This record gives sequence, structure tokens and C-alpha cells, in this order.
Amino acid sequence: MTRVSLPLLPPKPADRQDTTREPSAASQVSPDWVRISGASALALRFRSGRFGRRFDFGGINLLLNYDDGCRSDCAYCGLARTRPGTYEDKSFIRVDWPLVRTDELAERMARYEASLTRLCISMVTHPFAYRDTCDITERIRRAVATPLSILVAPPTLNRRRLERFHELGVDMIGIGLDAVTEELFRSLRSDVPAGGAGLKWDQYWQVVSDARDVFGPWKVNCHTLVGLGESDRDLVEIFVRLRDQEIFSYLFSFNPEPDSRLGEAPRASLRRWRRVQLVKHLVETERYGIEDFRFDDDGSLALLTAAPESLEEVIETGRPFTTDGCPSSGGEPGCTRPYGSYRPSEPFRDFPFDPDPADLAGIRADLALDEITERSRRA
Amino acid sequence: MSTEHGQQLADISGYRVRLDLAYFREADLWVETLAGGRARVGLDPLGAETSGTLAQLALVAVGTAVTRGQPLGSLEAEKFVGPLVTPLSGSVVATNEAVVARPSLVEQDPYGSWLVEIELARVEELDELVSGETVAGYFADRVERYRREGVLAE
Repeated sequence: MTRVSLPLLPPKPADRQDTTREPSAASQVSPDWVRISGASALALRFRSGRFGRRFDFGGINLLLNYDDGCRSDCAYCGLARTRPGTYEDKSFIRVDWPLVRTDELAERMARYEASLTRLCISMVTHPFAYRDTCDITERIRRAVATPLSILVAPPTLNRRRLERFHELGVDMIGIGLDAVTEELFRSLRSDVPAGGAGLKWDQYWQVVSDARDVFGPWKVNCHTLVGLGESDRDLVEIFVRLRDQEIFSYLFSFNPEPDSRLGEAPRASLRRWRRVQLVKHLVETERYGIEDFRFDDDGSLALLTAAPESLEEVIETGRPFTTDGCPSSGGEPGCTRPYGSYRPSEPFRDFPFDPDPADLAGIRADLALDEITERSRRA
Repeated sequence: MSTEHGQQLADISGYRVRLDLAYFREADLWVETLAGGRARVGLDPLGAETSGTLAQLALVAVGTAVTRGQPLGSLEAEKFVGPLVTPLSGSVVATNEAVVARPSLVEQDPYGSWLVEIELARVEELDELVSGETVAGYFADRVERYRREGVLAE
């Protein structure tokens, strides 16, 4: 086969007729304009295209847009201030996010409401982010009743503002903690070349606590990014900490953004990733504690004390390996982000549908659980 | 219908379609018969559009023997990956390295961006392609189907 390396996809307007974009407009910023994920653009027919496998998809993700971009400079993020390129041309999670008119988006949401499962507005760190998120939330709430989350930018918020989101009809709050230890958070998000834009570990946890109070149990989630340099023990400790507060951990697999400061950093191996998925599920859903795992000297998972039979029961459900995301109104996975942290030609890091038997066979091979269960130690 | 540079073109459901080519139903490909028992193959306008934003094309090496219905490469788009299935059996005698290097060329000009050239092993397979007067209806039906499936932008 003749192959070339996969390039970043080029920036492209949202639809082929280019009717939603005004090239002459000086400023296409929120709240009148928002970016949407590539999958959302397909689901709402802003763009032509299809998914690599057939599955229902209705999780629409929005991202605020500003000429001067996000004020943060996180080492791994495509939107980081010191990442080369203009803000408009920057990718986010490796692909561009089409720019659309907010009102046109709301109209499309209404048109396709029956197929929508979850909506989410992602804030960025910007002085107008709170004001504009409220505005966009109101426009969406007027158009559809689909459950709505906000992935918040903690430096722009306080408790009163979280209460306001709740009053506007937002039912879940996400906090993009990403780095799961204070040291990692500081080095990747606070002590950064362009300044940390106010991103502080303690402040993030204050927003987590406030959101938990305002929105209630299992209505808040923390994004935890696997592959930033944390140990497995670090991850399990945060899973337990969040579970004990009835807060979800949403797993994300680090996928290096070209030209970001971590652009050359390796991803977590599929084996490690699968084991982290399983462990997170065991902690969050099966009430496992830190004592149910053994770690080696560098904090890597060395032993799962559970019986292989009980682990197999969990694996057979496929649920540990589906995308972590806010639910639909019926409680099913609502935000599934297909191909969000891996290429379509790569194995699904998280499955936007229930894995089928062939998928499960691959998952079992990835896990190689016989290496880390008691039975193997006794054999 | 119009004729440009010997090509018969027609607007069908919003798409500029070449009526003088043959089409492979199973894989959204066009086929142009060349002299000397050869044919060129490319992704047709609907195939290019419904794949989504193309990111990577992979083609078999020149000299590879291919059998109708078997892969002659693959394409990867923003949210899609799938095989390119050959409409004809034979030997691949040329590949278009320009489109391998820049897959977006296919989206910009599907008919101008051929993928492979095949020396045909079974000329009679050409008869199984959609051609002639049936092309227009075939395209219109596909546009309708793809609209129902929700894979075309509105």
C-alpha cells in the first residue's frame, strides 16, 4: 500500500454551500456563533459524511468561539495560546470544529430533536464566556428539551453562576480537570508559557464542590485524561475520591495534538487504557476501593484482587469500554463522541455503542487480564 | 445536458454528473474505459461527498492483481474508514500519487482525480456497470437514498 501520514484535517466551513459563514464578517464570535464537533456537524446535516460503523448518534457538542481564543495555555490542548497558528485555524481534539450560527444551530436541533440524546456547551477561558454561555443556553432551551450539559471553565465561574446555569435548565456540569494530580495540573495548566489564565488546582476543586452542591449527586463529572504522565495509582485515587462524592469520572485518552507542547508525547498503550477503563468502572459502579488493587513501585497496576469470573461478568457487559458521557433523558449513553480521541482506522478507544462479540474479543486481548489477576499469580 | 471537452455532463439532484462514464453500484466509483483494454477508476461525486472530509487514501502497489469486489485500497475520513472495492478484475498498472498525497483533490474534483488504472483481465465485467441512459436515474436514486440516510448536508 502507498500511504502518507495522516494530516490534520483542513479547516472547512460547516456546510458545502457555505451559507452559514460570512467571510466578510469582521467577527464570528459567541454568542451569535459557535463551533460544533465534526460528529455534530454530520448529525445535524451541516456537513455530508458518515460514521465508520453504523450506530445511532445524537450527542451534540458546542464550543464557544472568540477571535482572541481561549486564554489558557494548557500543554496538551489544541486551543492553547502558544500553540502555533491562528485561533481560527486551530484544531481541537485533532480536528477542526465547524463554525455555525447559533440560531441556525438551534433551528437544526429543533428539526432533529427526535434523534438528539444530549447537548453540551464547552466553555473556554474568556471574559465573556459566562455571559455568552447563558445566552446560548437560553436560545437552545427555547428550541429543544434535550438534556443540556455545560463543560465549564472554572476561572470564569463562581457558585452563583453555577446556580444560574441550573436555573436556565442545565442538568449536568462537567469540569475538565484533565490532569489528575496537583503537580501535573500545575506543570501542564498553571505554570505555562503564556501564563495560566487563572487555572488553579484548588479553584477547580472548589467548582467541583460547588457544582456538586448545586446540581446534586451524579450530576457532575470530572474529565480525567489518561496519558499525561500520571500513574495508575493516581487515577484510582481520583476515581475513588470522586465516587465517594457521587461525582462521575469521565475518561479521556490523551491523543497528542500536533505542535502542542505535548505534541510528541506518547499515548497510553491500548493495554493500559483498557485496564484503566475497567478499573474505573469497578470503582465507580462496583464500589471497589483502592485496597482492591495492588501497584508496583512506580504506581502501575500490578494486581486486581477480584476473581476472574466476576471480572468477566463485568467485561461481558461491554459497559466499562463505552464512552463516558452525560446520559440521554432515558438514562442511556447520551454523549458518545465517536472517534473523538482516535482515528477511524484505529481501534475504538471508547465505544460509542455497545461493543459486539468481536469487539469484546478484542477488548479481552487488549486487557490481558491473566497477567494481573490472583489466579495467574498462584499458577 | 452539456458537453465539455468531450465529456457529457448533466446536473442531477444538485450534482454535476458525467453521463459518458460507467459507475460501480457497490462502491460509489466511476469507471472510464481507455484504449488497450485498460480502465481508470475514481470516486464519484456522491462517494466523495458522503465519505466526509477525506484525510487519507491508501492504494495497492502498481503491479498488484485485483479481483472485482476485493479491496484496491482504503480511504479514511474525519469519521469514516472503509475499503475501496475494485469494480474490475485485472492488474493495477498505475496509481495517482497526487491524490494519495492530497486526498482533498478528490473532494474538489472527483472526476479529475482518478485513483488507479487497471489492465482488465475480464472485459465482460464492464457490462455489469451502470452506463448509458441509466446513469441519470441511477444517480438520482442514490441522491434520494443518501438524503433519507441523512449523510448529505442540507
